[in-house]
Amino acid sequence: MSDARRDDLTPEERDLLARAAAAAPPPPEPRWGDYRAELRAKLEARRSVGARLRGWWARPAPIALSIGLATALLLFALQPVERKPDLTLAALDEAVIGARLGLLEHYRVVERLDLLEELDVIRQLDDVPSRKG
Amino acid sequence: MTDEREANSDETLCRRIAARDEAAFDLLVARYQGRAYRLAWSLLRDAEDARDVSQDAFIRVWEAADRFRGESRFSTWFYRILVNLCLDHKRRGRWWTRLVARDEDSDADAALVERQPAPGPDPGDQVSEAQTMARLWEAVHGLSPQQRAAVILHAQEQLSTAEIAEVLKVAEPTVRVHLHRAVAALRKELAP
Repeated sequence: MSDARRDDLTPEERDLLARAAAAAPPPPEPRWGDYRAELRAKLEARRSVGARLRGWWARPAPIALSIGLATALLLFALQPVERKPDLTLAALDEAVIGARLGLLEHYRVVERLDLLEELDVIRQLDDVPSRKG
Repeated sequence: MTDEREANSDETLCRRIAARDEAAFDLLVARYQGRAYRLAWSLLRDAEDARDVSQDAFIRVWEAADRFRGESRFSTWFYRILVNLCLDHKRRGRWWTRLVARDEDSDADAALVERQPAPGPDPGDQVSEAQTMARLWEAVHGLSPQQRAAVILHAQEQLSTAEIAEVLKVAEPTVRVHLHRAVAALRKELAP
């Protein structure tokens, strides 16, 4: 038997393991009749729950209800979220303005350029014939 | 005679269970209930847990009998279900459960010494042997759950290393390593 078990253990080691396993105090023996009755009850409970679930799923109304619920959830999950103005966005704006402080120093020039743009002059500067001489 | 044995073999009963034969299930439960409970108890050390987990293993057999392909013995397949349930149960165990169990274990060890037969000609030897057994049992429970399962399946259930490997879903050399480490731990425990 020891060859068939291929455990690479010496007889002394095998004996030690056998003694260790045998050292287990005997477990309190259950009443086997009660044990089987309890097992039968658990099995029945599982089967009835399973049957109820299968029965529920087999009906058209629950299926339609489930599909409707799943669709509603899907639509809810996919709809675009309206974002509230964010503090981080405000901070970003401030950073951009800070980077353009140089322009603000020449604000009057910028103001005039804006005015000229509004008068459609700047955009058509290329089309304005140059005055030579 | 052979036909009768074949008709009542575990594997045949399992096929009948797959076809929802309740009599076959009852027969198989009666055949394995003691072994299942004792193995679960050896791994869990709690009578209530052993009862619950071994019953759960039978329920799994009922539910999954059609998945038993007959490539291994039924007992190996069943032990795999049972040992996995026990290991899962231990993993789920809460810290306070383990603390309480530790106290109960001390009682169990004391009870083990008390349960020894009445002293014979050499009471000193008897007590010493009982203490050695208690220490051995304690040492078994100091092993990792996988090592402990390997030792119990090897020594108590007489499974081969290949069968233990199948039960624990590990390679056969790993089982041998488990057994060698267990031997080393037990020797250390018994060292004077």
